Amino acid sequence: MNLILDFAPPLVFAALGGVLSERAGVVNIGLEGMMRFGAFAAAAGAISSGSPWVGVACGALAGAAAAAVHALLSLRFRADQVVSGIALNLVALGLVTFLLEAVFGSSGVSPPCPALARDRFGHSLLAYAALGVPVLFHLWLAHTPAGLRIRAVGEHPRAAATLGIRVLPLRALCVAGSGVLAGIGGATLSVGIVGQFDARMPAGQGFMALAAMVFGKWTPLGAAAAGFFFAAADALQRQLSFSLRAADLRLEGIFLALPYALTLLVLASGVGRTRAPAADGIPYEPEGS
Amino acid sequence: MPELRARLFAPARDTFWGAFAALILSLLISFVAIAASGRDALTGFADLFSGAFGGPGPLGETAIKSAILVLTGLSVAVAFTVGLFNIGAEGQLIWGALAAAVIGQLDVPGAMALGLLGAAVAGAGWGFIAGWLKVRRGVHEVISTILLNWIAIHLVHGWLVAGPLAAAGSGATVSIAGTDPVSASAWLPRLFAGSRLDLGFPLALAFAAAVWFLLTRTVRGFEWRAVGAGRDAAQASGIPSSRRICEGMALSGALAGLAGALLILGTEHKYPGVFRTGYGFDGIAVALVGGGTALGTTAAAVVFGALRAGATRLQLVGIHPSFAELTQGLAVLLVAAPRIFQPLLARLRGRHSAAASAPPVPTVQP
Repeated sequence: MNLILDFAPPLVFAALGGVLSERAGVVNIGLEGMMRFGAFAAAAGAISSGSPWVGVACGALAGAAAAAVHALLSLRFRADQVVSGIALNLVALGLVTFLLEAVFGSSGVSPPCPALARDRFGHSLLAYAALGVPVLFHLWLAHTPAGLRIRAVGEHPRAAATLGIRVLPLRALCVAGSGVLAGIGGATLSVGIVGQFDARMPAGQGFMALAAMVFGKWTPLGAAAAGFFFAAADALQRQLSFSLRAADLRLEGIFLALPYALTLLVLASGVGRTRAPAADGIPYEPEGS
Repeated sequence: MPELRARLFAPARDTFWGAFAALILSLLISFVAIAASGRDALTGFADLFSGAFGGPGPLGETAIKSAILVLTGLSVAVAFTVGLFNIGAEGQLIWGALAAAVIGQLDVPGAMALGLLGAAVAGAGWGFIAGWLKVRRGVHEVISTILLNWIAIHLVHGWLVAGPLAAAGSGATVSIAGTDPVSASAWLPRLFAGSRLDLGFPLALAFAAAVWFLLTRTVRGFEWRAVGAGRDAAQASGIPSSRRICEGMALSGALAGLAGALLILGTEHKYPGVFRTGYGFDGIAVALVGGGTALGTTAAAVVFGALRAGATRLQLVGIHPSFAELTQGLAVLLVAAPRIFQPLLARLRGRHSAAASAPPVPTVQP
């Protein structure tokens, strides 16, 4: 149970980022790259300022900056959103390694950074935020005018535009917000869990967050629940692997593959089958342009 | 000469010029990034060039890396053709490499051909799963191939190569030994002395030609393209679209599997204990910059292969080889948005042919 609260926040925040972007109609495969920028910037910010919370803020900003590139390419230049997201991931892979080398002179890990304070149960504030934020996000998306506007541009942008909503700026805002959430997710990895940045981060967590979003049917509560489910699968895998001494038997790989196989089975079983937001991934051309 | 200019920059060539401009611009940005980090960028680029083209040795390295990128790039491009975005070339490559490493241990004549065949079948199987999940269970291929990548990585690296298939006699602590070496009869023969260039490059070019022929000159290729252009329309005109998608994904996986075989039978000669190549992911970049065609993908593979080969030299001046990844990522970023270069191209074209249309980007259907 303790492990679940440790593993879940990166997935939950990034998955919520995915929900925000895709409910507004912009596919976001770039979550992985945004998390990577966020994790690195959080560690760098925490080291240079001495405060982990400044680090988290840096991570959120870096995620937003990466998301702004995605928004610029896919909204302003009408790039294919999947391609733009993949490109962002590739850039994150190269650029962050490059920066790690340029700033800290290492290609493996950053120096240890100040980590978030933990309470007597061993959890940081962000772990509890991962429980509360999805509820607030759900209320906001489902029951406020702003949430309604976002859902409108994701389902039927033309109709939303007719009602005076400016589609592209709103979508850009949602993509940027998605970057903030993914950046915080990345920050929970570096300053939250590990206490340093590792060149391999986020090691596929962004893609898992994407799967959590699909599994959670593009809703905040569903995506968060899926994030916790994946974290539980990961925790279970570690417990089993540890108690069965899998490393000695060289069976570790089977246990490591388990959460991914489980996710694939769940998706294939049709439990997660549902409809994406109607205008998800379709570029919007404003009338008269 | 307005005619020449108009023809040279005709709208039909926009894809090419867009990719070309993207490559130049991404190299420029990387150059500035290196200079900004206080390294000698000029020497670095000279090293990069000599590491990729300076003599038979470097040329051989470029060709070896290009060959693998040609195949992973074609893998992604073939999946594009049937309308799928295959992120899973990495996992398919891993299974292909493992099959080649296991079959290659047979010391029989023709072991090389058997290894290649086995790799193609293994990769095809892994690719087919994603296709089947897409058409039968409605699982988006981007998600399924990402998950399949991780399953392949963990199963092969964390279990098979470390456990059942580990080299005999490797002690309990040696978990990075890899498998037993493949027999010499399975090695891809080297073509020239003084270079590691092996049969892999000509093989990759032959496969590229075969893919080009298949996609553009056969009925099956036409049906694949029809399914990719519009699944419902293809289905309505009598093409079994589900089957064509599965076939396309299997071929895509086979090509990635062959790339794995080239690595094992050409240079590694066993399945190493540590084997994170990234060639499968680079294939995405290669196919996107290459515009999804066989010819463009091959050209892009050679460019990125040279970049990869040259980047190893950059370490000498203290520049991390991740530079190659950075340049590659930037190129894809710029290629992804062809409209960035539209004003420039329109100006180059002159005022005679103002009708500029956005070049087609490989589009992914939800």
